[in-house]
Amino acid sequence: MYPSKHKEIVTSLMSGKFITIDDSTFNVLKENKEFYLEFFDKSFGFDLKNTQEFYYLISDETNENTSRDISIFFSILCYELDKDGENFMDKLGFSDFHIDEIVEYISNSTWADVVKVNNQLKDADSIKKLVGSTMVKRNITRKHSDGKYSFTKAYRLFIDFARELIKTETNEAEK
Amino acid sequence: MHFLANHFDLLRQLFDIQVKNEVILKSQVNETLNEFESDVEGQLFEHKVLVEQNDDYVINEPYFVLFEFVLQQFKPLLPEEIEKYGQSIRTLSLNIKEGINNDKNILLDRIEALSNEIKKFKNAVTNNTISLLNESRELKANTRRIEYQEKVQKARYLIEYYIIPLNTILDLNHSQSIYNELLAISQFSNNKRFDYFDESIRRQFEKLYNLLKQVVKDISHQSTILSNELLPLLDRIKTESEYLQGFIYYLTNMNCYKEIKPPMLFNTTRDNPYSPYIYENTKEYFEQFKNEEDVFITEESTDIEQWIFNKSEYKSKLNSMLPVTDFFSWCKKALENEKADFDIDSYFIVTSLIFEVEYDIQRDRDNQSISLKTDHGEFIMPKLKINQRKNVSK
Repeated sequence: MYPSKHKEIVTSLMSGKFITIDDSTFNVLKENKEFYLEFFDKSFGFDLKNTQEFYYLISDETNENTSRDISIFFSILCYELDKDGENFMDKLGFSDFHIDEIVEYISNSTWADVVKVNNQLKDADSIKKLVGSTMVKRNITRKHSDGKYSFTKAYRLFIDFARELIKTETNEAEK
Repeated sequence: MHFLANHFDLLRQLFDIQVKNEVILKSQVNETLNEFESDVEGQLFEHKVLVEQNDDYVINEPYFVLFEFVLQQFKPLLPEEIEKYGQSIRTLSLNIKEGINNDKNILLDRIEALSNEIKKFKNAVTNNTISLLNESRELKANTRRIEYQEKVQKARYLIEYYIIPLNTILDLNHSQSIYNELLAISQFSNNKRFDYFDESIRRQFEKLYNLLKQVVKDISHQSTILSNELLPLLDRIKTESEYLQGFIYYLTNMNCYKEIKPPMLFNTTRDNPYSPYIYENTKEYFEQFKNEEDVFITEESTDIEQWIFNKSEYKSKLNSMLPVTDFFSWCKKALENEKADFDIDSYFIVTSLIFEVEYDIQRDRDNQSISLKTDHGEFIMPKLKINQRKNVSK
């Protein structure tokens, strides 16, 4: 017998979605982790990854451009939030953002050179599409009423990645 | 005190200037007086609130300490400055123990001196904790909007030079901590307040013991603030700084577009309008129709020639042949002459001539029968002779 919500879990993960701790399927996935690890590996050759807060699939083929754009997006947003005196960890974890607010942080960023050459960040419409479509589809952002968005715990993947860069750099320098 | 109360805002501004710049420039004194529209310059020097230092001014030490206390804005003391109290406490404590049976007066003075040093130590620790907590919170919220690099530097500086050493001083588990020294003195004075032979000395030990009871409690509280609030706060600043360093590294020099690989992200084909198998799939789809033969649907012709029985024609044919010995066979032949593949219905219509009144029908004398084979079966019929009836009125 398959676990409950099996179809929903498989469909979500196969469409590139993150299943986060706030999703109803998270606990089913957690309780049946071994089953799903084997299921995705044996059925499709995909690797099911997880942290304490989210699950996601990876395969040999990665969507590098989208991942890079999202990583740049979070790096800039966090940097600007910090500069603005905000606690970016708390803000990303617990606050809603109006899309105009997000656009403003990115568009007025000091990292203009990085922004202007990026097709997903270069203007307001592109940023709105990245946040409101690409990231919603992957369950990285959630859309609320009145043009507001919040971030799911999946944002941690992209900021932890940046933090790891420094650790890797330090380790390599020490070697 | 009256002067201080009346001009508190002005004095506070001068205090803030000194906290920020170490000294107060002459021009800053004038600017502040003008801002508050005040003419108390003379009184500032008269009451010795301001004293000259080289060409500039500073707030006189006792007033400065008072403002620090009133405003709860203490410049954090370096651990070395706090540690000096530890040294004097240790020395006095040792001297008291060693000279416990010597001169009474020096013993009293030493106990009093020890109490004073303990009070100073306690104040230094309390003030330091408050100021470090304020600085850390301020740094955390970045109220001064300082640049990231400066913030990280400041956080590291606070942790390295102030907070970790202060934690060591207060650490219960650290054998050399002043906190442990105080506990030892407390235990010693607790014993001596009961078993010392001189009453005045016993009273001094009693006072020292009571003071230590409070001080140990206060220091323990400061230590709790340090471990529960200050260290996690700074730890968080440290964590955030690691993230920020990561972001900066990723974005600097366009590194994000160079060799750094972003996190693996599942590649979905559902959204891809051009599937890698589109050619094969399309080919397969069309190939299923490739070898199919053309089919022409022709409707069955409904234009069947309708056979109409021409009775008079057949009658005249029959009449010309009379007498006919085998009526049914004649009918077959007559019909075959007109239509080779006649159907059985047409045949029976032709045979209806038998019922015409002008004919006389006679059965064959030998009772012979004839057979007619058709697609539908074999008809066995009597052999009938047909002739013209003689008495028929015309």
